[in-house]
Amino acid sequence: MGFQVALTPGNLFFCFVGVLIGTLVGVLPGLGPVAAISLLLPTTFHITPVSAVIMLAGIYYGAMYGGSTTSILVNIPGEAASVVTCLDGYQMARKGRPGPALGIAAFGSFIAGTLAVLGLMFVAPPLAEMALRFGPPEYFSLMIVGLTILTFLASGPMWKALLMACFGLFLGCMGMDTIMGTTRFTLDIVELSEGFGLVPVVMGLFGISEVLLNVEQTMERSVFATRIQNLFPTRKDWRDSIGAILRGSAIGFFLGILPGGGATISAFTAYAVERKLSRHPENFGTGVIEGVAAPEAANNSATGGAFIPLLTLGIPTSATMAILLGALVIYGTQPGPMLIKEHPSLFWGVVASMYLGNFMLLVLNLPLIGLWVKVLKIPYPILFPLILLFCLIGAYSLNNNVAQILFMIFFGFLGYLFKKFRYEAAPLVLAFVLGPMLEKALRRSLLHSGGDPTVFLTRPISAVLLGVAFVLLIFPLIPRFTKKRPAFGD
Amino acid sequence: MAKLNNDQVSTIAWLACGGFIAWASLGYGLGSAASPGSGFITFLAGLGICFFALIGLAEASFRRGKETRWQPVLKGLEWKKAFLVMGALAAYAFLLSPLGFILCTALFVGFMLRAVKPQRWPAVLLGGILSALGTYGIFELWLKAQLPKGWLGF
Repeated sequence: MGFQVALTPGNLFFCFVGVLIGTLVGVLPGLGPVAAISLLLPTTFHITPVSAVIMLAGIYYGAMYGGSTTSILVNIPGEAASVVTCLDGYQMARKGRPGPALGIAAFGSFIAGTLAVLGLMFVAPPLAEMALRFGPPEYFSLMIVGLTILTFLASGPMWKALLMACFGLFLGCMGMDTIMGTTRFTLDIVELSEGFGLVPVVMGLFGISEVLLNVEQTMERSVFATRIQNLFPTRKDWRDSIGAILRGSAIGFFLGILPGGGATISAFTAYAVERKLSRHPENFGTGVIEGVAAPEAANNSATGGAFIPLLTLGIPTSATMAILLGALVIYGTQPGPMLIKEHPSLFWGVVASMYLGNFMLLVLNLPLIGLWVKVLKIPYPILFPLILLFCLIGAYSLNNNVAQILFMIFFGFLGYLFKKFRYEAAPLVLAFVLGPMLEKALRRSLLHSGGDPTVFLTRPISAVLLGVAFVLLIFPLIPRFTKKRPAFGD
Repeated sequence: MAKLNNDQVSTIAWLACGGFIAWASLGYGLGSAASPGSGFITFLAGLGICFFALIGLAEASFRRGKETRWQPVLKGLEWKKAFLVMGALAAYAFLLSPLGFILCTALFVGFMLRAVKPQRWPAVLLGGILSALGTYGIFELWLKAQLPKGWLGF
């Protein structure tokens, strides 16, 4: 069924467009998958939900492929998950081996991406079956766990992440109270009666603020000058890296499932594991191929894993997944345990499109390396007006209202201030998306229990989930866990 | 002010923000345990902001060593360009309906190309016109988005 859906000309086209744009945003430093998905979200309102999700998913895993190119050739990660690829990838390029580095990154990503889709296919349906037993208290507790883990894994002090989550919760609950029918914090602005839309919020926080930061400094890039040849890794390269690819795939998949795990953490973990397992850990950072293969496999595999909690429980594990969740709600499909039953064509169509997308990416990445290098040379002063223009059109075309543009500018400025004062926007976005669902689950639970708050503790699954959240909250108080963590991202 | 560090300044602002949210939420009603009111969750969110801001303020106040003083957030940066971009975005929002999409977009892109890091005039003109027509083709003609026509009718 999935391939019947994914192989229709329209869906094939949108899958191709998604992975192409994903690779492009992965290649371009300063524009990550979160910003790209936010920018393109309004354009998907004019196509079918299945095509839209296929395209947006393609952007997400495509960006992971594209990110390696800039890491290897320019030593600037195209997006956060490729930071660790710089360490050995750029060193390989400096030693005259940019081709095998790019090649193993592409093949490793392909293998990992395909394995992750297989995992998604087998894990998601039974998990969704189990989640059918969840009631409002379990959902409330699950969302608390999601928020706790995400804020716990954010870089910087934990209080900042939790503060941002509270602010996101407030923003998410603005507008109409669906239970009482009253409006909240609308300041008598008609456009706020439904609250802030997801698109102006994420476009402002991730797209506009990024541009504002970039224009105040000169982004000089020097692309590696050596001619890129021999993209196919040698037999020795394969021997050295196949274990790393398989281990990276497994690490990425499981960390991708966990809320807050994400591609960045997966890439760092896979790299650390390879270094630990290596007979020559001292060579890591000098240009070893395992140092490229493992993180690239992990960050691609994590994207597949991240779809499991989203599609089965309706819980996003990262900012990108939160935007996808918001998109699914806008399309009229509620992600959660009923999704596979109610919209099987969407679920299986997206899964099948991932197989095809991974293949397309392999074909795109290897022969088009030269083109991506040229793209890298586009000066930022020419690129940023186009990014802004897409933001403006995206915000306006939401409901043909200039107010959405003004909201986006407001959040752009807010995002700019957040970055200046080192507050991360990702926990805010997650809480913004989860906020209304969390409120509904909390109020329904209390209504059904006659106002008894112990309902969250007397139901076993809910109690276990809240226990997990509590442990995670006190975890950072133990000194050895308060060391600096890698940056949160996708 | 100059003696406060960045986290102290930001947490004081957050305290005010959280306090306002919690106070304003009371007006919407907290309801009862059996039937929480419209202001219940936003009240909790406001309290949460205040709570974590207080933790942050304490942490920033007792911090020793580096970052104990204000670190200028705009120092050494061409921050005026960021505000120029903000101004241009706001102008776009206000001029979009009267001028229409194509003209407004061409002017916006042209201005951005010329004002932030000045490009040559042919590039400015070509960039403005091509991006306006290109996006019009994609969004209006292909994706059927309804972009404003303005006084001039295009």
